[in-house]
Amino acid sequence: MLQYFDPGKPALNPDLDYGTPPAISEATVSLSIDGYDIEVPEGTSVLRAASILGIQIPKLCASDNLDAFGSCRLCAVEIEGRRGYPASCTTPVAEGMSVTTQNGKLAKLRRNIMELYISDHPLDCLTCPANGDCELQDMAGAVGLREVRYGFEGENHLAAETDDSNPYFSFDPSKCIVCSRCVRACEEVQGTFALTIEGRGFDSKVSAGQSEPFMDSECVSCGACVQSCPTSTLMEKSVIDAGQPEHSVVTTCAYCGVGCSFKAEMKGDQLVRMVPYKGGDANHGHSCVKGRFAFGYATHKDRIREPMIRGSISEPWRAVSWDEAISFAASRLKATQARYGRESIGGITSSRCTNEETYLVQKLIRAAFGNNNTDTCARVCHSPTGYGLKTTLGESAGTQTFDSVMEADTIMVIGANPTDAHPVFGSQVRRRLRQGAKLIVIDPRRIDLLKTPHGGEAIHLPLRPGTNVAMVNALAYVIVTEGLEDRAFIEARCDQSQYAAWREFIQQERNSPEAMEAVTGVPADLVRQAARAYATNGNGAIYYGLGVTEHSQGSTMVMGIANLAMATGNLGREGVGVNPLRGQNNVQGSCDMGSFPHELPGYQHVGDPDVRARFGKVWGVAIDEEPGLRIPNMFDAAIAGTFKGLYVQGEDIAQSDPNTQHVEAALTSLDCLVVQDIFLNETAKYAHVLLPGSTFLEKDGTFTNAERRINRVRKVMAPVAGLADWEVTMALSNALGYPMHYRHPSEIMDEIAQLTPTFTGVSYDKLERLGSIQWPCNDEHPEGSPTMHEVDFPIGRGRFAVTEYVATEERTTRKFPLVLTTGRILSQYNVGAQTRRTENERWHEEDLLEIHPSDAELRGIRDGDWLGISSRVGRTVLRAKVSERMLPGVVYTTFHHPGSGANVITTDSSDWATNCPEYKVTAVQVEKVSQPSQWQRHFEDFDERQQQLLETAIHGEKTDDVGVFK
Amino acid sequence: MSNDQLHHLIVMVNQISSNLHHTGTDDEAAEAVAGHLKKFWARSMKQMIIEYADQDGSELSPLSREAVAKLQKPVETV
Ligand code: SF4
Ligand code: SF4
Ligand code: SF4
Ligand code: FES
Repeated sequence: MLQYFDPGKPALNPDLDYGTPPAISEATVSLSIDGYDIEVPEGTSVLRAASILGIQIPKLCASDNLDAFGSCRLCAVEIEGRRGYPASCTTPVAEGMSVTTQNGKLAKLRRNIMELYISDHPLDCLTCPANGDCELQDMAGAVGLREVRYGFEGENHLAAETDDSNPYFSFDPSKCIVCSRCVRACEEVQGTFALTIEGRGFDSKVSAGQSEPFMDSECVSCGACVQSCPTSTLMEKSVIDAGQPEHSVVTTCAYCGVGCSFKAEMKGDQLVRMVPYKGGDANHGHSCVKGRFAFGYATHKDRIREPMIRGSISEPWRAVSWDEAISFAASRLKATQARYGRESIGGITSSRCTNEETYLVQKLIRAAFGNNNTDTCARVCHSPTGYGLKTTLGESAGTQTFDSVMEADTIMVIGANPTDAHPVFGSQVRRRLRQGAKLIVIDPRRIDLLKTPHGGEAIHLPLRPGTNVAMVNALAYVIVTEGLEDRAFIEARCDQSQYAAWREFIQQERNSPEAMEAVTGVPADLVRQAARAYATNGNGAIYYGLGVTEHSQGSTMVMGIANLAMATGNLGREGVGVNPLRGQNNVQGSCDMGSFPHELPGYQHVGDPDVRARFGKVWGVAIDEEPGLRIPNMFDAAIAGTFKGLYVQGEDIAQSDPNTQHVEAALTSLDCLVVQDIFLNETAKYAHVLLPGSTFLEKDGTFTNAERRINRVRKVMAPVAGLADWEVTMALSNALGYPMHYRHPSEIMDEIAQLTPTFTGVSYDKLERLGSIQWPCNDEHPEGSPTMHEVDFPIGRGRFAVTEYVATEERTTRKFPLVLTTGRILSQYNVGAQTRRTENERWHEEDLLEIHPSDAELRGIRDGDWLGISSRVGRTVLRAKVSERMLPGVVYTTFHHPGSGANVITTDSSDWATNCPEYKVTAVQVEKVSQPSQWQRHFEDFDERQQQLLETAIHGEKTDDVGVFK
Repeated sequence: MSNDQLHHLIVMVNQISSNLHHTGTDDEAAEAVAGHLKKFWARSMKQMIIEYADQDGSELSPLSREAVAKLQKPVETV
C-alpha cells in the first residue's frame, strides 16, 4: 500500500497539479482507487489521493493552490455504495472507500460535459496562444471528445471583446469557461478580491471590479489569475508575442527580500515569462508584479555593454577592452594608495548581487586593498537590525520562516507595509487575517493591511514619526505592570541581572502609555489594548521594516522589539518571533557575507585575533584589526581629502543615500571611482571607470532572503558584456596583485562554508538536493534551521536592553513645521533603476508628495499642484497628492525617481549605533511653487551632459577579450 | 581634517552617549560608550576624536569626554 503523509507540504512534485491543497491532519485514512490501495491524511480529496497514486482524473475547475469548488463536474467518479457520480475534488476520502475513476458511464458523462463547454468556445486552437499549454484542450483529448452536436449558431460569447489594458497580460472573455479559478486565485492566493463572477447561469462572466478594465480596477497585477487560468482567456502578452517557451530554469527573484522562486521559461536565450514556482519554499507558487512581469530591464537598450574609462568626469567615456579597463582601474587605485595611504580607498558591496559576489568584494577590499573600508547599502536600511538583534538575541537575523505567520494569533506590524514592499508575504498575512488572527499596526500611515477584505479585528496605533521607542516602552510598561509577562520563559531563557535592570527601568511611570501619549500622540487606552492583545492572545509575532530602522533610535527600537518578545515568551517556536522585513533581495546575504567594516563574514568581529587568524590563513594575508569606514564616514573623509578611491558594485549611493548634495560633493572629490552596474546610474555619472554589470539572469549564485533562506540563482542567458560580476571582481583583484582563481561560484560558497560557522553545512550540492537552506546550517543543524533560538540563544541567555527614549534632533520648528517621511510602493523597486525601465512605470510615473487635507487647505494646495519642499539641507519640487492616509502634520513621498530629489532634503541625522540614516523623519516646509528647484535644474543639466558623454562612447571599439578573464 | 568631519564625529559620540548614559554607574556608562567606539569606529575616527579631546574637547558631553579618555589610541598596523 502506498502510504502518503504530507503535513503542510504543498506537493510531492512541484511541477504537477494535485488538484486540491494538501490536508494537514495527522490522522490517516485508507482507501482504494481503481484497485490500488493508498493511505492519506484525513481530509484529503479523492482527486488528490488519485493524483498521488499517479491516476489523473480529468478536471477543469480544480487546482491544488485553490480550495475545491466543484463546478465543472468533469472530475466525477463512482464510489462503491454511493449513489450518482460525486465530484472527486469536493469529496473527502473515507476509510475503506472504493473508487472507480474510469468506466463507460463516466466517460460518457465527461464527454457530454466537454461538449457543452466546447460549444461555446472558439475552435481556433491552432492559432491560440495557449496552444500546447491549455487544460481545456488537454481535457478534450483526455475524455476523447470527437464531435460537438450543438452548433455555434446559438447564443454564445464568441464575440466578446478583449481587455488589453494591463501592460503584461490580456483578458479575452470569448475563451472563458467560467471555472472561476481566476476569481478564487485573486481571493485565496493574492487576497485582493479584484475579480467577481457577474450574472448567473449562461450569462455569468468574469469581471474585474465593477466591469472595469483591469488597469482601472483594484487589480495589482500579481498574475495569480493568469497562472491559474486553464485556457488562454488570461494570458501573458509575452507568450502571445513569442509563443510557448521550450525549456525552463528555476531561479530566484532579484527584487525584494521575500526571495520568490520562479521558473524562468525560455525560448533559446530569450526569456518568455517568469512563472512563480510551486516548489519555492518562500512563495509556494505565488509572486508579485515585479518578479512576475518586470524583467524587461534585463534586455533594455540602456544596458551598459562595454567597459569604459575616462580621465575625469567632464571627459567623454571611452569604450575599451576589459583588459584595458581593469588595468586602468587597478593602476589608479594603486596610485591613490601610494599617494594618500593604505586607508584612502574602499568599496561598497551590493545587496542586489549574489552572496558569492558580495563575499568577493569584501575579500578584495580586506585582502587586496589591505583595509576594512567596506560597507553596503544595507547600512542605509537594516544595519540597526544587525546591531539590535545581535545585542539582545545574539544573531543578526529574523527568527522565523514566512510560513510561521500561519500559526500566529496576533500579528504586530511595525513601520512596514508588506502588501506594497513584500507583496507575497503580505498576501500570506492577509490569508492568516482572514482566518481570524488579530492585527496590530504601529505606523503613522494607514497601511493597506488594515483594509484586508474579510480580515479580523485590527488595532492601529498611528504614532508620530520618530516616537517608536516611546511606543515600544509604553507597550512593555503595560505588559510588566499588568502582570502579562511570561515569567517561566524569562527565568529559563534570559539573563536575570539584565532583566532586573530592564524591569526596573520599564516600570517607571514616565514609560506609561498615559505619560507617553503626549509624545506619541496615540491614546493610552489603545496602547493598552494592543499590549494586552500581543501578550495574551495566543502566539504573538512581530514583523517590522524600515519604519523601525531608519530613525535616530533605530537600533534602540530593534532592541525594544526584542525585549517585548522575550518578556512575553514569544520566541523559539512556530507562530511567534521577531522578523525584519528586508528591503532588497539580498540585504540579509550582504550583511551575512561580511560587508560591514567591523565584521568578517558570519558577523565575526575584525578585532578578534582568532577570527583574523582563521581568515588570514585561508586568504594568505594579514587582516587589519581596526574596523574600517562606514559609507557616511567615507563621504566625510572624501570631502576632507583623505579618502580618494572607491569601488562600487551594483549600488546607487548617489541616489539612495541621504543629503544628496553632500554625497555629490564627496563623489566629486574622488580621484578614482570605479562603478560596476547594469545601467549608467546616478553614481556612475561621477565615475572614472564603468564596468558592465550582469543581471540575476546572467549568472550563477545564491541570494539569502529575509527568513535566512539561501536560494539558488541560476544563469539562463550569457552576461551582456561577457563577464558575470564575480568574474569582474576577480579580474580586478588579480590586476591589483592579489590572486583569485575561482572557476564557478560554487567554489566561492565552499570557501564561505569553510570560514563561516553558520554556513559550514552549505554547499551547492545540498542546495540542489534540498531546494533551499535556512542558515544556521552546520553539524548541529545539517538541513538548516527554520526557527531560531528554539533551545537557547547563540549568546546563551537572552539579554534585555534598557531602551531609553531620546527624542530625535530632527524636530519641527516654525520654519520647518511638517515632518517628511519616506517609503516605497508596489510597482517600483528601490531607486527604480530596473522597474523604471519596464511597464511598471505605468502604475507610478512620478514620485508625489502626499499631504493631509487639513495641511493642504492651510496652504491652498490642491491635487497636482507643484510643491516646493525644503528642509535645513536642501530643497526640491514634487507634485501634490492630498491624502487621508497621512496624519495631519506629516507628509510622505517615495524615492523611486532620481529627478525628484527626495534625498536632497533628507538630512545626515542618523541612528546613534550604526549611522543608518533617519529617512523616516525630516522637518520640512511645503509651499506652492511654479518651477523646479535649483538642485533639480542642476540635476537635469548634469544628467543631460553625462548621457551625452556616454552616447559618444557607445560607438567606440568592441571588446573581445573576455576569454582572458575566464 | 575638515571641521565638518570633526563636527560629525562629535555629534556621533554625543549621540551614542545620550543613548547609553543610563547603562549602570557613570563609569560603566563610560565603558559602554568607549566599548562602542572601539568596536565600530575606524582607526582614523578614533585618532581624530582622541586628538580633539586632548586639545579642546569643549563640545563633548561629560560622558563622551570620559569615554574618549578611556579609549586607547589605535596602533598603525601593516
Ligand atoms: S493579477 Fe492578481 S490582483 Fe489582478 S486580478 Fe489577477 S489575481 Fe487579482
Ligand atoms: S478567465 Fe480563465 S480562470 Fe477565469 S473563469 Fe475564465 S477560464 Fe476560468
Ligand atoms: S519582488 Fe518580492 S514578492 Fe515580488 S516576486 Fe520578487 S521576491 Fe516575490
Ligand atoms: S474539477 Fe472537480 S468539479 Fe471541476
